[in-house]
Amino acid sequence: MSYKLPMGPYHPGLEEPYKLEMICEGETISDAKLHIGFNFRGIEHLAETRNYVQLIALMERVCGICSFIHTLTLSQALEKLTGLEPPPRALYIRVIMAELERLHSHVLWAGIAAKLMGFKTMFMACFAYREQVMDILQAISGNRVNYSMNRIGGVNRDITDPAAILEMVKQLESAIARELVPVFTSSSTARSRCAGVGILTREKAVSCGVVGPTARASGVAQDLRRAAPYAAYAEMDFEVPVQPDGDVRARLLVRALELLESCRILRQALDKLPAGDFNCGEPKLVFMTGTAISRVEAPRGEVLYSVSWKQNSRNPSRVHVRTPTYANMPAVRWMVQGARVADAPLIQASVDPCYSCTDR
Amino acid sequence: MKAIDPLIERLEVGDVAADMSGVKWFAAGDLDPRQLAQSLRQQGARFVTITAYELPGAEGFCLEYLWDLNGQLLGFSCRVANKTVPSIFDISEAADWIEREIHEEFAIEFTGRKYEPLLLREGDTLGVNLREVPK
Repeated sequence: MSYKLPMGPYHPGLEEPYKLEMICEGETISDAKLHIGFNFRGIEHLAETRNYVQLIALMERVCGICSFIHTLTLSQALEKLTGLEPPPRALYIRVIMAELERLHSHVLWAGIAAKLMGFKTMFMACFAYREQVMDILQAISGNRVNYSMNRIGGVNRDITDPAAILEMVKQLESAIARELVPVFTSSSTARSRCAGVGILTREKAVSCGVVGPTARASGVAQDLRRAAPYAAYAEMDFEVPVQPDGDVRARLLVRALELLESCRILRQALDKLPAGDFNCGEPKLVFMTGTAISRVEAPRGEVLYSVSWKQNSRNPSRVHVRTPTYANMPAVRWMVQGARVADAPLIQASVDPCYSCTDR
Repeated sequence: MKAIDPLIERLEVGDVAADMSGVKWFAAGDLDPRQLAQSLRQQGARFVTITAYELPGAEGFCLEYLWDLNGQLLGFSCRVANKTVPSIFDISEAADWIEREIHEEFAIEFTGRKYEPLLLREGDTLGVNLREVPK
C-alpha cells in the first residue's frame, strides 16, 4: 500500500523552506512532488521601482551565499546597457571574489552534506575552513555576506595587498587538499553513504536542463567560465571536473575537485593582478534603450539576468533572474524515485539547493 | 560548419542577428514555440528560460525564449495574443517551472498543460507582476 510522506516546508532534514511530498511504498520512494514559494518576495517586480544604485543593493539580497555573483551578473548586464567597460584590474578582482564565493559555498555545502551523512566531525571541520574563506572575503571587502563589491564599470574596493591574500589562499588550499578533499574522495564513509544514491542519468540531466555541479556530476560538461568566458576567466588555466555516474557521490566529487580548481584560479589571478584602476570613476551614466542579457557560472551553476531599460528612465522596465537552483531542483523528483526514505534529505541536499534564490 | 547552421536550415530562417549581449536572435516568422522547441531539442540545445514582458498600451505581452547551444545563447521572441500561448512543457520539461511562474506573475495561459501553484499559494490572485507598486 502506498502512502504520502510530506517533508517540509520546515523540517530538520531540510536546510531551507520547501516541501517534498513523497509517495512511498514501504521504505521506498516511488514518486515525489516539490512545492516552493514559501518565501516568495517578488524581487523582480520590485526591481522595476529601483534606480541603478538601489537595484544593485536589492539584487545583492537575492541570495545570501552568492550575493557577489548576483551583482556581478547584474553589473555585466548594466555595463552592456551603458557601454562602460571595466578596467582589467577590476575583471581580475571579480574573478578573485567569484572564486572565493565558490569556495565558501562549496565548503558550506560539504559541511551540510557531511552532517547528513552522519559524519559530524567533518561538518565542524568544514565550517572551520569556511571561516577562513570568510576571513579572506572580509579582508578584501570589509564584509562577510553582502560584499558591496560590484558597481557599473568595475568594483568598489581594490585588493591593496594581493601577496597577503595569496598567502591566506595558499594556507587554505594546503589544508583543503590535505584534510577535506581526501575525506570526500576516498573515505569509505562517504563512499558507502553516497555511491549509487540519488542517480540522475545524463539523459534526464539534459532533459531537465540542470546546470553547474549537478549537471557536471551527470556527465554534462558545461561550465560558463569555459564555454562563454566573462570577467578574466579567458586568461585562467583550469580544469572542469566532470563525473559520469550521476549519483550523490559524483556530485560530492565534482565539488571537492572544484575546490582545488578554485584555489588554482585564485593563485593565478592574485599572481597576475594587473596594475591600474579598479573602476571607471564617476562618469555620467547614459542607459540605452534595449535588453541586456548576462550569464555567470555561480557555485550552483548558471545565473542569468535579463535587464531591460528605456533611455532617460530612472528604473529598469524589466529584470528577470534565472537562478541555478530554479533549474536544478525539479530534477530532485527523478533523483529520489526508487531511493530509500532515509536518503531523501541527503539527495535533496546534493543539489545544494538555495531557496533564497528560487523564491526571489 | 557552425553548430547553429543546421538549425537555421531546419527552421528555414534567414535572419539571425546578434544583439549587444551576443545572443543570437532568430526572426522566427510564423514558427510557433512548440516547433522551435522540437527543433532545438533535436539539435541538442538546452532550455534556459522564458522572459515575459508586458508591452505598452494594449499591445499585450511578449515572451522571449532563451536556449543554449554549446555556450551560445539563442533567442526567440513571440507575441502573445489573447493572453494564451502553447506550452512547451511536454517537449522540454525544463520549461515547467518558468511557465507556471509566468502564469502566476502575468496571468498568461500556457495551453495544453495543467497547473499547480508554484510561487503563489492555492487561491491567490494571478498577475503579481501586473500590480502597481508604489514608487
